[in-house]
Amino acid sequence: MQFSLKRVNAIFIKDWKDLQRNSYVIFTLAIPLLFAALLGRMGEGNGVFSTLPINLSLVIAGAFIQAAMVAEEKEKNTLRGLLLSPANTVEIFVGKSALSAIMTVLVIIESIFLSEFKVPSPLLFIISVLLGLVFYIAVGTILGLLSRTVMETSIIGMPVLVVFGMGSMFKTMLENEFLLKVITYLPNEQLDMIWAGLANGENLSGIFENILILLVWVVLSVIATIIIYKRRRID
Amino acid sequence: MHLNLNQEVRKGKRSKCNGNVIEVKELAKLFGNKTALKNVNFEVQKGETIGFLGPSGSGKTTTIKILTAQLQATAGEAKVFGQPVQKLKDPSYMKRIGILTDNSGLYERLSIYDNLALYCDLYGVEKERIDEVLESVNLIRDKKKAVQKLSKGMKQRVTLGRAILHKPDLLFLDEPTSALDPVNMKHIHAGLKQLNTQGTTIFLTTHDMQEAEDLCDRVAFLNNGEIVMFDTPQNVRAQQENTSISLLLKGNRTVTVDKDEDGAKEIYQHMKDGQILTIHSNEPTLGDVFVELTGRNL
Repeated sequence: MQFSLKRVNAIFIKDWKDLQRNSYVIFTLAIPLLFAALLGRMGEGNGVFSTLPINLSLVIAGAFIQAAMVAEEKEKNTLRGLLLSPANTVEIFVGKSALSAIMTVLVIIESIFLSEFKVPSPLLFIISVLLGLVFYIAVGTILGLLSRTVMETSIIGMPVLVVFGMGSMFKTMLENEFLLKVITYLPNEQLDMIWAGLANGENLSGIFENILILLVWVVLSVIATIIIYKRRRID
Repeated sequence: MHLNLNQEVRKGKRSKCNGNVIEVKELAKLFGNKTALKNVNFEVQKGETIGFLGPSGSGKTTTIKILTAQLQATAGEAKVFGQPVQKLKDPSYMKRIGILTDNSGLYERLSIYDNLALYCDLYGVEKERIDEVLESVNLIRDKKKAVQKLSKGMKQRVTLGRAILHKPDLLFLDEPTSALDPVNMKHIHAGLKQLNTQGTTIFLTTHDMQEAEDLCDRVAFLNNGEIVMFDTPQNVRAQQENTSISLLLKGNRTVTVDKDEDGAKEIYQHMKDGQILTIHSNEPTLGDVFVELTGRNL
């Protein structure tokens, strides 16, 4: 299979031009920043909710924006044009994800500054964020492909926001051992554990298991995305 | 005379053909229990313009969707450029095909130019081509306008421009002029004829008999998913015998006479009296033949 950076870049440039005129996306990107600014004013620092802005950035900027962009391509029948062009599945997937990924990284960086979160062990922190990014963008792509309209992504995506964005918050409200066990395997929980471990001075070996579980989530989500994407290629 | 010249041009074009661009054998498509296509067989030669005609739901769009690998056939075989349509996703094939479907979407917030610029990059076409295409679809003065500010007809011309941007060898057009006014329709027809003379094979669906007559070397009548006739427009019309002649007489009177001895005598009498203003042979239209064959209107 040929891979053309030029075609990937063409899709990215198109999305960038479109984003500048898309008030829904711009407004949505501001939500995690507002939340981070609020935590920063509360002086939360590296407290209990300190990682919430980063998780929210991943869910809202990564998953929701990606879902909205993919769903709009479907709703307006523009995805069909891309699928019928020489661009292959990987090029379309990478091109459509590039802008969401960059915007998510920028929102995360801004959130870290606004919430005054101290980044522990930058290299391992970046690796964990990038793994999370791939997972959430894959989830966003799946949501976009499953939704018929941009509005529908909000409905289908709400459980994703609750489970993956705020799942850790519900731990204190739950008593069911099984559910608590399930929550500990969620990707956002892995990210929280990795960042907590790094803040406590753990090195790679101390967070290796969490990285591995996160990697399994990444692989599964990418495989699921590709399968759904290929099925949607034909009516 | 005009018609004869047209026929000669078409004959000349057909004689230059070398190989089939599209081959369809025993094609069938079911949607649940509903039959959309059955036993469809045809071939399209290089350089031809083929028209698929039929009412809504007759299977025209389904045929295009199968030929462009957007739908899987239930049975039968469909080949484009000698390859099964499933292989069309290969970029080398996709670069040779242009597609305008009934639901080809545009990026509404972007300008006409930006919409076409994306496809220039996807197809590896120089951006200079955009102005050429916009000239041919009569939109050059609007190229900086956002698509969301365009009328339906203008959007249709943008999608047509996008389909021909890379000068495809084979162009699929699903109702290409359905939303256009007569002036723009004429403009688009001229552009399509020019593309065709440059070697592009065109496969189009239409409800418009005149469009089929103007553009197509051969037309297929599709009814309930089956091809009931596939021939040149001239041969299709010849299926229905031309039996009458209309005379417009002084005083704005119209008289229709049969093409027989009595009719000839009547024409002679009106001529002798100096009453005849015009004489018309009542040629059947493609629509007349379609109605006669299927009992349905287009």
